[in-house]
Amino acid sequence: MLTNQTEKKDSIVKRGWWLGLLFILFLIAPSILSEFYLSILCEALVMSLLALSFNLLFGYMGQLSFGQAAFYGLSGYTVAMLVTKVHFNFWLSLVAGVLMAGVIGLVVGYFCVRLRGIYFAVLTLAFGQLLFVIIYKWHNFTGGDDGIQGVFPPDFLKSPTAYYYFILLVFTASAYVLWRIIQSPFGQTLKSMRENSERTEFLGINIARYQLIAFVIAAGFAGLAGAIWVPFYRSVAPFYLMWIKSGEPVMAAILGGPPIFLGPVLGMFIMTFFHAWVLGFTIYWPVVMGALILVIIFFLPGGILGFAHEKLKERKEKLNLTKGQP
Amino acid sequence: MMSFDVLFNQFLSGIARAAMLFLVASGLSLTFGVLRILNFAHGSLYMLGAFLSYSIWKFILIPVVGFYVATIITAIILALIGILIEFFLLRRLYVRGWPEQLLATYAIILIITDIVKYGWGGEFLSIPRPKPFTGAVFLFGFPFPSYNFFVILLGLGLVIFLWWLVYRTRLGDIIRAAAHDREMVSALGIPIPWLFTWIFVLGSLIAGLSGAVTAPFGSVALGMDIEIIVECFAVVVIGGMGSLPGTLLGSLIVGEVYAFGIMFKPELALAFIFIVMAVVLIIRPWGIFGRPER
Repeated sequence: MLTNQTEKKDSIVKRGWWLGLLFILFLIAPSILSEFYLSILCEALVMSLLALSFNLLFGYMGQLSFGQAAFYGLSGYTVAMLVTKVHFNFWLSLVAGVLMAGVIGLVVGYFCVRLRGIYFAVLTLAFGQLLFVIIYKWHNFTGGDDGIQGVFPPDFLKSPTAYYYFILLVFTASAYVLWRIIQSPFGQTLKSMRENSERTEFLGINIARYQLIAFVIAAGFAGLAGAIWVPFYRSVAPFYLMWIKSGEPVMAAILGGPPIFLGPVLGMFIMTFFHAWVLGFTIYWPVVMGALILVIIFFLPGGILGFAHEKLKERKEKLNLTKGQP
Repeated sequence: MMSFDVLFNQFLSGIARAAMLFLVASGLSLTFGVLRILNFAHGSLYMLGAFLSYSIWKFILIPVVGFYVATIITAIILALIGILIEFFLLRRLYVRGWPEQLLATYAIILIITDIVKYGWGGEFLSIPRPKPFTGAVFLFGFPFPSYNFFVILLGLGLVIFLWWLVYRTRLGDIIRAAAHDREMVSALGIPIPWLFTWIFVLGSLIAGLSGAVTAPFGSVALGMDIEIIVECFAVVVIGGMGSLPGTLLGSLIVGEVYAFGIMFKPELALAFIFIVMAVVLIIRPWGIFGRPER
């Protein structure tokens, strides 16, 4: 028991060391990267937050949402409309965006948590697409397929570097909060529902309520990602809500490794930078991404981190065997 | 308020829409019922069918029956594409979890969309309506395109064919048994991979057929796949995934709700569909004819 605890502490210290180094790298990134790559880094961080929110449901609760982008876009629209149309306070607009995503998440989640597996995926997709269609067709309110332009952050955040630090701050804080949620008793309950929902139910846990809470949290964080992205990009468009966009966090999670907390982040970073690189010489990005997905699925089951984790474990076991330990 | 003839006209266009939806959704539902794979790319196969039929029609240039010939050739080509997809991609994923299968079909969407973009560009294409369905039929003084009747008839034909296939043939017995308990069927000596290939090919063939049939509506364009597939998801969710009677009922409901919804508020016609879907799900979360999942 005691050794177990010290071991755990060790691994946390090790992990902390890695994260610290990474964080310092992120802090000095603006002085290393060109403005173009800095904006790609911003996008990667924002999309990573979306992927983390998705993975709370997928990796920990065990349900695949194919409508996560709807909350991202919905919140983005809320911010864009409040800032451009009524000149609402910027910070309160961000809060309103997150709240909007959370409230709509509550309504959508109410229906979705009744279902499991592939049915859950289809239903989240259908509701996401419904939100997309409403925004797309409601031309005189949302601007339809023109989207909304001219969404500016306050003056001191207008430079890319300043906004980058803002995104980094929000991302780090959100990732920490999500991490704590997953480590909390609530997160453990989610995991137990993933492993065996029947047994969890026998423990007297109301599965639907827990899943609904997780759904709303995930929608809120997806909304936060959308809320901070739109002022950086200065505009919002209906395709932000589309299911094709919702596929990106799914892809990122499976690419990185869903059971690992930072797996989706790694996946999203690879995808975003790969995207930026591919766009340099072809406009046919989707076909490249499609091929990439197939390659990952076929050759890297469990994702990159999952694959690495598995290999490391194998090596460790081998070492233990040669040492003669059980 | 509304006269009977207006309502009847709307009802009829709802039926035509339902027939179109059934043409697409039945393939989706059949594949899901047997393979337990939700083929996201079904809509993309349908879109590919529409574009292919346009090019084939233009290439062969046979008067009068050109459209029908093009439709048949398209369906066959799509069936061949179905074999390729099943054999080289899906077959390797049956042992994996369904999220990976879903993601694989999502990848196929991306690839097909780009192929269509590369091959045909972004313009709207259309085939003139084939004889003898060029004109309009007057019902209560309203013109109703006679091509819509062709689509309704085709939908009806497909309903009968699928009913016959699933409930009256030996293959149908196997299909129903496999949907129920795949391992048991395999234990009885029936090669499951073979069955899966044929079902997927049939689904692709139906997708190609429905794509070709939609070409004379003048809506062959990029994005047509996503437009219809989302409605098809609503159809299968309402009717119950994997159930053919459910797909038929779901198509009728969605088609009619859309047709009447468009009368009240055209922008929100699609929203009405989802409201109906939500109501159905409150009462029966697994759809009208669906089975509760394990």
